[in-house]
Amino acid sequence: MTALTGSPVTDAGSPPVGRRPAPRGNRWFARVGWRHLVAVLAVLFSLFPIAFVLSAALNPLGTLSSTELVPTEGVSFGNVSELFARTEFARWFVNSLLIAGLASLASIALSALAAYAFSRMRFRGRRVGLLSLLLIQMFPQFLAIVAIFLIFTTVTDLWPAIGFNTPWGLFLLYMGGALGVNTWLMKGFFDTLPRELDESATMDGATHAQIFFRIMLPLVAPILAVTGLLAFIGTINEFLMANVFLTDTDSKTLAVGMYGLLQGDERNNNFGIFAVATLLTAIPTVLVFQFLQRYIVSGLTAGAVKG
Amino acid sequence: MSTSPSGPGPAPQAPGREPVGSRPEKRRAARDHATTTMTGLAAKVVLLGLVAGIAIWAAFPLVEAEKWVGLALLAATTAGLFYLYLTRRHVPAKYLVPGTLFLVAFQVFPVLYTASTAFTNFGDGHRGSKQDAIVAIQTASVKQVPGSAEYALTVATKGDPATGPLVFLVTDPATGTVSVGDADGLRRLGPDEVTVAPGGKVTAADGFTVLNFGQASARSQEITELVVPTAGGALRSSGLSRAYEGTAVRAYDAGCDCIRDSETGRTWAADESTGSFVAADGERLAQGWKVGVGLRNFTRVLTDENISGPFLGTLIWNFAFAIGSTGGTFILGTLVALALHSPRMRGTNLYRVLLILPYAMPSFAMLLIWRDMFNTDFGLINNLFGLSVNWFGQEWSARAAVLLVQLWLGYPYMFLVATGALQAIPRELTEASSVDGASPWQSFRSVTMPLLLIALSPLLISSFAYNFNNFNAIYLTTEGGPFPADNPTNGATDLLITYTYRLAFGGQGAEFGFAAAISLFIFTIVAVVSAVSFRRTRKQEEVYA
Amino acid sequence: MRIRTAGVVAVFALALAASGCGGDSDEPATKESAKAAGGKLVIWADDKRTAALKPFAEKFGQENGVTVEVQAVSKDLQTNFVTASQQGSGPDVVVGAHDWIGNMVQNGAIDPVQLTADQKGAFNETAVKAVTFNGQLYGVPYAMENLALIRNTALAPEAPKTIEDLVATGKKLKAEKKASEILCLQSGQNGDAYHIYPLYTSAGGYLFGTAANGDYDPTDLGVGKPESIEAFKKIGALGEKGEGALKRSITPENSIATFTGKKCAFLVSGPWAVADVKKANIAYDITPVPGFAGGKEAQPFVGVQAFYVASKGKNKALAQEFVANYVTRPDLAVALYQAEPRPPALTAALDQVKGSDPDLAKFTEAGENGQVLPAIPAMAAIWDPFGKAEAAVIGGADPAKTITAAGKTIAGQIK
Repeated sequence: MTALTGSPVTDAGSPPVGRRPAPRGNRWFARVGWRHLVAVLAVLFSLFPIAFVLSAALNPLGTLSSTELVPTEGVSFGNVSELFARTEFARWFVNSLLIAGLASLASIALSALAAYAFSRMRFRGRRVGLLSLLLIQMFPQFLAIVAIFLIFTTVTDLWPAIGFNTPWGLFLLYMGGALGVNTWLMKGFFDTLPRELDESATMDGATHAQIFFRIMLPLVAPILAVTGLLAFIGTINEFLMANVFLTDTDSKTLAVGMYGLLQGDERNNNFGIFAVATLLTAIPTVLVFQFLQRYIVSGLTAGAVKG
Repeated sequence: MSTSPSGPGPAPQAPGREPVGSRPEKRRAARDHATTTMTGLAAKVVLLGLVAGIAIWAAFPLVEAEKWVGLALLAATTAGLFYLYLTRRHVPAKYLVPGTLFLVAFQVFPVLYTASTAFTNFGDGHRGSKQDAIVAIQTASVKQVPGSAEYALTVATKGDPATGPLVFLVTDPATGTVSVGDADGLRRLGPDEVTVAPGGKVTAADGFTVLNFGQASARSQEITELVVPTAGGALRSSGLSRAYEGTAVRAYDAGCDCIRDSETGRTWAADESTGSFVAADGERLAQGWKVGVGLRNFTRVLTDENISGPFLGTLIWNFAFAIGSTGGTFILGTLVALALHSPRMRGTNLYRVLLILPYAMPSFAMLLIWRDMFNTDFGLINNLFGLSVNWFGQEWSARAAVLLVQLWLGYPYMFLVATGALQAIPRELTEASSVDGASPWQSFRSVTMPLLLIALSPLLISSFAYNFNNFNAIYLTTEGGPFPADNPTNGATDLLITYTYRLAFGGQGAEFGFAAAISLFIFTIVAVVSAVSFRRTRKQEEVYA
Repeated sequence: MRIRTAGVVAVFALALAASGCGGDSDEPATKESAKAAGGKLVIWADDKRTAALKPFAEKFGQENGVTVEVQAVSKDLQTNFVTASQQGSGPDVVVGAHDWIGNMVQNGAIDPVQLTADQKGAFNETAVKAVTFNGQLYGVPYAMENLALIRNTALAPEAPKTIEDLVATGKKLKAEKKASEILCLQSGQNGDAYHIYPLYTSAGGYLFGTAANGDYDPTDLGVGKPESIEAFKKIGALGEKGEGALKRSITPENSIATFTGKKCAFLVSGPWAVADVKKANIAYDITPVPGFAGGKEAQPFVGVQAFYVASKGKNKALAQEFVANYVTRPDLAVALYQAEPRPPALTAALDQVKGSDPDLAKFTEAGENGQVLPAIPAMAAIWDPFGKAEAAVIGGADPAKTITAAGKTIAGQIK
């Protein structure tokens, strides 16, 4: 936390709230001002590469050139109409929302269950299990593709409904990765919840399932929301597997369809509409985040601990 | 789809299977109060019903295809699930099994399969079986008999269009005569027996049903396999409307276990140790097959100078990269999360939305933009600061640039996670400490940070492990460069994974077996490091135990 | 708090129910995908070509009572095709560049195509040569592409005869502040073997020797030979420490954009760049890439896009019919040209469209002395080390040392 040490909090030796009166501006800065400063700097850092995407999206030539932030050829929305006219963007959008929405919900469900067990129960193979969960993710995906083809060729022969070129096949595959990093993330949060909570609940006669659903889940709501959002973003951007699975133009997801716009020599021709697509892709994520904000930021935990 | 969360098992838990390591006397008390909720029971019934339904649905194709092993596996899995969720024992398993089932099918199996290829020569030119290779060699050697005619072809049958035995009706373009051919040979038909359209296609023939394209294409495989022997070779179909007289110049001879070329008389003998057909002078046929090579791939990793030479340097940078990426994003993400974590802060909602935007955009697009920003002559960074640094052209600047890009891409993730973590820390704790007279910094150090670390340390370990193998971060930016002029195989920003990718796939065809062997080495390194750091988290984990 | 708890539980239940329902709702889909009466033809191509092919494939399907599906693989088409083929889930026909042939053949993924002498004769000779491998014709070509010099005629009215001419004009424009770069020839930090190749050949370098049957000979590697060192010395002289005409900062991303931004008068690129140039309203002309004064001809690579019949397709007869008898028709070639303006490989189709598009003839002319891009598997080992050597030399590294190392690496990769 070196960055924090250098921040005005310590410099000002900031007095605890309401003890001693301090110069007004200084106090404001120590309490709130530095927060805005950090946030604004971070936002600038975050946004400036995105400004180029915006510039390219509005540039009628649609070229990628970071020296010209302001399009010299004027501003146009031609790229937007071209995107919808030339590609199946709307379809990709809907496909992505469905797959990512479903997959992220299901995967937080699976990983929350597992995380609860890993955090609250003691059983043989627990730590080994946790570690293997991590290590399995380490194997390079580009090697696993051969095996994925092997599995799903059989699956497609037997059950075409969940095979190649179906969103369900892809969904199943994503469920394979549900336990990975998310379980680790959630386990960390379950670990921070005081044991006394479930112990007293057990004393009151609650079963393990009741403890999990009624006590634990509401308490980790912020992290469920965060994990859900991360899973959503992760799925929407997932590319390697979706590319293998979805080859019908109508069944593609955003990541796959958009990558197709940029491939090979087309990169320059399509960059303008690609930039539009990139910006539009961010919209569902922002909406999901807005929806989840109330779980992420709320007084839930405070109330729960008191109760 | 076995996502049953285990309904609330009716009360008394088997001793030692309690979810919480609580004290015995409490458990006894719990036993008396245990209740079964209706919703729990209903959920259990519905979900198990669903499992049964899916199992039955899945069983039919297995029966039809006579895949008895698969059927047994399905039955065992279903029975196992029913047992697990109807018994009161095995509580942890109730929570772990749903995710684990998917994990085993779609992650563990692929990994094991891939690992097993490390002991083979699996790769381009050696993907299939020996039989595949022989078929490929023979097919590739079919040549049109010099000077032979091109025939117009019509596919016909004597029986039902869908099942009757197939024949070829071929028209000689020079004479216009029509012959009928099947596996026994060619027989001429009289001109009055057939109706021939201009261009030579037969539209009707006495005693035969002519197949249209749709009907014929449904029996594509039979058509491809039908070879009509002739004096000079054999008539084969080329599509559905032409036939040609061709011979397979090369054929497999089981007697010598070799491929023989009938034109030149050359032979290529099968070499089972390398999985290829090799001539006496060392010439190798391109089409080979997959064979086991034992530990050869592993010894190659250890003995190949190209790999072992720069290994140490790459490994050190690899660690620096993983630690730098994880640490950088963690510090920045936490700092920003802390800054926004205050009831006095206004506009946090807007800040948060803007901050996660980088994470919401397809990373391959943003990596392109970053690459462009570091451009020596046209890039924003040099233009902005009036520099002319060749960022990706020098070792240390390239490394710094890669880490900066990683920071940009990854810190929104840490920011979100830290935000969630901070919310989960009861505010009473920090408030209590500030009432005790601690400065914000002190209360951060003594209360917030330790709790944050408990929540995030598992994540930091997994983030480290992820970044250790973060192929895309390097491959989409520097591609491992800059490279020393005299060594194009190992660059300054190469991770072990990008480096080995280049070795295994950059040459003449992909070498999956070799790549798998290297991956196993890397895997071992990551496993040891992770296991060691994981041991150290045990203390933290037990903080409340 | 109660309400919120309920909310969380509801979300959870929804997730579980949704994942459960997944299995159930599949059943109707199974019935839909029941086999059509006729056969089914599956074609894999990249996104751009999928869009162009679809109407024609559908027409082929309707005419013949079969189902045709054109599917787009957005990335790694060749690798995925080979892998899928091997496992039995590949398509019947695949569309791709001719330099994939070597690898697809060694994996037994494609079959030779039998064309009649008449059919072969209808194609551009170079295109037929490109798809011929080990004496067999493996694909039916439909479009060709090669590099040329695209020139901003407002800045440089005269076509340069040699590279030296070009550099002189470029330097003059730079001095007059009319342009900021001498030449837009993409390299990037790791080089670009495809784009530097015309200069490499003009300076006397070669990649592979030619075997007796006219194929490239992987055992005769030109990289690392004295000719290649000489060639790279000349290239290095144009580099950052020399004339400054070749720069690593000119990348695949920005080279066309820099040209259309009127910052350089010369662009070395292919037919794909023309659309952008037109969009930017630049007066332009297309001429062959010039060579070094007193050097050999600058020979660009000629690449060919072709249709292939998959060895393990489920419907090979239909695939052969489509590739050999349908793709060879000029109207399809013209339509594919309209979707993507590259010179058609079918002479009749080229004649039909070149009247309305003078650029085509110019690109064809620029490619006349070109060399067919080697399709032998060994070529895969060239790209990476060769490109890096180029970038290093442009950056000022010692050519002899660099190219020798590159040659050694390449030779080590060729089996």
